[in-house]
Amino acid sequence: MTADWAVELSAGADPSLVERILRLATAPWVHPERLRGVVEALLDRPSVAIDDVIAGLEAEGDARRRPLPEPAEVRDVALILLRHGARMAIVGQPGYPPRLNDAWPELGAPLWLFLRGPGAILPSAPTVAVVGSRHPTVDGVQTAEALGRLLARHGVTVVSGMARGIDQAAHRGALQAGGATVAVLGTGFGVDYPAGDEAVREAVAAAGGLVTELPPGCGAKPRHFLWRNRVISGLADVTVVVQGRVRSGALHTARLAAAQGREVMAVPGSVNDPASRAPLDLIRDGATPLTRLSDVLEVIGLSGVRGGSAAPASPAGQGGPIPVAAGLSAEAGSLLTLIGAVPAALGALARAADRPVTAILAAVAELETAGMVRATPRGPVLARAADAESDSQ
Amino acid sequence: MVGRVRTVAVVGLEAVTVTVEAHVAGGLPGFSVIGSWGPAAGQAADRVRTALAAVGVAMPGRKVLISLAPADLPKAGARFDLAMAAAILLELGVVEQSRVDGMALLGELGLDGGVRQVPGVLPSAAALRAATGVQRLAVADGNAAEAALAGGPEVVPVSHLAELVAVLRGEQAARSVPAEDDGITAEAVPAAASPDLADVRGQAEARRALEVAAAGGHHLLLLGPPGCGKSMLARRLPGILPPLRADQALELAAVRSVAGLLGGPTRLDLRPPLCSPHHTMSAAALFGGGSGVARPGQLSLAHHGVLFLDELFEWPRGVIEALRQPLEDGVICVARSRATVTYPARVQLVCAANPCPCGGGDRCSCSDDAIWAYRSRLSGPLADRLDLAPAVEPLSAADLLSAQTGESSADVAARVAAARAAARDRWAEAVSCNAVAPARMVRRSVQPAALRTLANAVQAGALTGRGYDRALRVARTCADLEGSETVGTDHVLEAYAHRLGLRPQQPAAAGPAAARPSAVGPAVAVAEW
Repeated sequence: MTADWAVELSAGADPSLVERILRLATAPWVHPERLRGVVEALLDRPSVAIDDVIAGLEAEGDARRRPLPEPAEVRDVALILLRHGARMAIVGQPGYPPRLNDAWPELGAPLWLFLRGPGAILPSAPTVAVVGSRHPTVDGVQTAEALGRLLARHGVTVVSGMARGIDQAAHRGALQAGGATVAVLGTGFGVDYPAGDEAVREAVAAAGGLVTELPPGCGAKPRHFLWRNRVISGLADVTVVVQGRVRSGALHTARLAAAQGREVMAVPGSVNDPASRAPLDLIRDGATPLTRLSDVLEVIGLSGVRGGSAAPASPAGQGGPIPVAAGLSAEAGSLLTLIGAVPAALGALARAADRPVTAILAAVAELETAGMVRATPRGPVLARAADAESDSQ
Repeated sequence: MVGRVRTVAVVGLEAVTVTVEAHVAGGLPGFSVIGSWGPAAGQAADRVRTALAAVGVAMPGRKVLISLAPADLPKAGARFDLAMAAAILLELGVVEQSRVDGMALLGELGLDGGVRQVPGVLPSAAALRAATGVQRLAVADGNAAEAALAGGPEVVPVSHLAELVAVLRGEQAARSVPAEDDGITAEAVPAAASPDLADVRGQAEARRALEVAAAGGHHLLLLGPPGCGKSMLARRLPGILPPLRADQALELAAVRSVAGLLGGPTRLDLRPPLCSPHHTMSAAALFGGGSGVARPGQLSLAHHGVLFLDELFEWPRGVIEALRQPLEDGVICVARSRATVTYPARVQLVCAANPCPCGGGDRCSCSDDAIWAYRSRLSGPLADRLDLAPAVEPLSAADLLSAQTGESSADVAARVAAARAAARDRWAEAVSCNAVAPARMVRRSVQPAALRTLANAVQAGALTGRGYDRALRVARTCADLEGSETVGTDHVLEAYAHRLGLRPQQPAAAGPAAARPSAVGPAVAVAEW
């Protein structure tokens, strides 16, 4: 007989299956790597039945003398999930994200997911993952936000990992445009991670959804984020890497996306910028460079939108001349042409402009207060380009 | 009958006249010193007894009692030896009391009767200027010039106890100290030792910041990778500061004298001092300390000059925190077991640090938010004390090969002097430099448009309220350097740009985007990878 909580927790899936799998998901020794081991052993069969996987996991528990939790314990976990407003989705069953279904079993899709969010998470609408460094430059944050806004405005769901930096910038951009955005967490529900970002998590939960395969209360561990990445890439049609350093997690996500047969795009940065190492390496390895933000729309088949808009591209767009704000001094105006996305030392600017350093100091301050450049610890960078691009769409 | 002479004790920088009384009588042989004195009393007794024997005054089998009054004043050191010997000579009738009336004595005695120099003579002599009834001061040869600098009593140099006896018995005329035009008007010591700014190549931004700092007395933070020349720049700041006024030089000399560092100057040193304590230095060595009565630390030895803290990030946070109070007050108060003393500490602070956590340089891959976090920890306790944070760039090969030298210290010093003069005319006597000018007075000479520019920056969150006033003071200095009566927008913008490196954290973006949920937070402690 099926428990009430199982019916409530199952988003249209078979409640008895939910009951059985939740018992597995609650056991601390069951995790995606173990699941993968069991699935791989079954891959030589013509089709991998969920029942076989469950049986395999249960057999493994017996072999290792690792007991499964008592039914009362499972029930408590289920009640916690229900209190969080969460549901459980099982691969192959209704309520499981369709894109992720395609990645079952050999491409690493999870057997189960815990979901929070309004309605069905990830309908068939196009979905783009925007991922990148937790330590982005100002330029990277602006690019990710602009991408988030642009995608949301075209009805595309933005998936990312809720980490500080590029991930949150992408979520934020989508939220600003009033679009849908989904975060895949590296913790269970009810864990304040990244600490203090409760507000962002709740905003994303309301505007799209939160996804995790970890049981509630499960804290952050480095490997959780490696597991999470295959869910991010699996949910999305396209994965865009905005910034990342050598050995970046974003690089990992992109490689997984490629392995799952999804499109990988990368935002090219300066070769001098360590924050752009990962996207540049990806482009070298065959990823599609994002030469303008709208490239991503073309890849998911929304190219008509741009052509259909009668408005000509604003001169503020990338590549066009930068608009000189009214009231800007001549000194500041001419300095602006020397400032790019990579920070320049003030002394170098003074030499390049062949002006006294006092004039450069005043001009940089003028541009900074006018919002035309941003001060970074290494020097000023151009502030307008990324915003101007998305606003021109 | 009691032999009675005068001497001077120094507690911190405060000099107090002390009366030394000697009583010699029969009884159990001995030599005791009373009057709030440390364990060194026995040593002084041995020195004085042996020195007296060396000039033929032996006291076998006599009971000698020395009293130092006021008794509750903490006293230390060997400076009372000469006065003790003189008091005993009086008591024994070797010298007549009338001969030592109106004289104070200061000096340490050697076993052979020689007189040695002691620290703290300058403040002692200065205090005697005000003391009534003292017209002459006997000191060791090595202290004579120092004593004369104070412009106080007539200085009687004595090289040996025998000479003192001869002078006091009228058998020999007192030597006179070479006239030093009362020291106060002495010329500056030639600036041979001071390094020149001409040695610094490139570094336009840092040079400008150094000049502004010198002209306005603003505190400075130099940010640059190792080996780029931060210390080199800092060491050249005293060379472009105006020379000390005579009264300032005397204050500094008094501190040096108490610390025993004055040597034997023949002229007053008018060069602003530079002290560069190492970050492993104890707090006591920096702020002043020692057992009993605190001696001045590096902070006070840099009085009216530059305190250079290299590797600011390596300094214990507590030490940096403790700097705030003296920076504000211009004095440091140090309490020890026997006395609480106050030393002057009006310094211009120059700090140096790496620009980012990894040290910086070409291969730096620190993220922006890691650098912001580092910077805010770096300047944390001093955040609202520092005004300029120029980037010191690593030297390029072209700079090294170029035969072109930078502008010389003399040229920069001339502009600094002109700017300081303009500031002095404006503030009159009330304010010593722009850095300490009251905000209300500074605002008066700022053009409304310039004020508005800065106010907008405050509104955008790029500047704090305190930063606003501090930027205005720097802007005032930029205007003074240009010879401008009023502070214009360009001056304000320059001052704002000088602060960019100090900003604790990336500000929220201007405009409608400011309402974003939460901007990029500080570095997350848990590594995801």
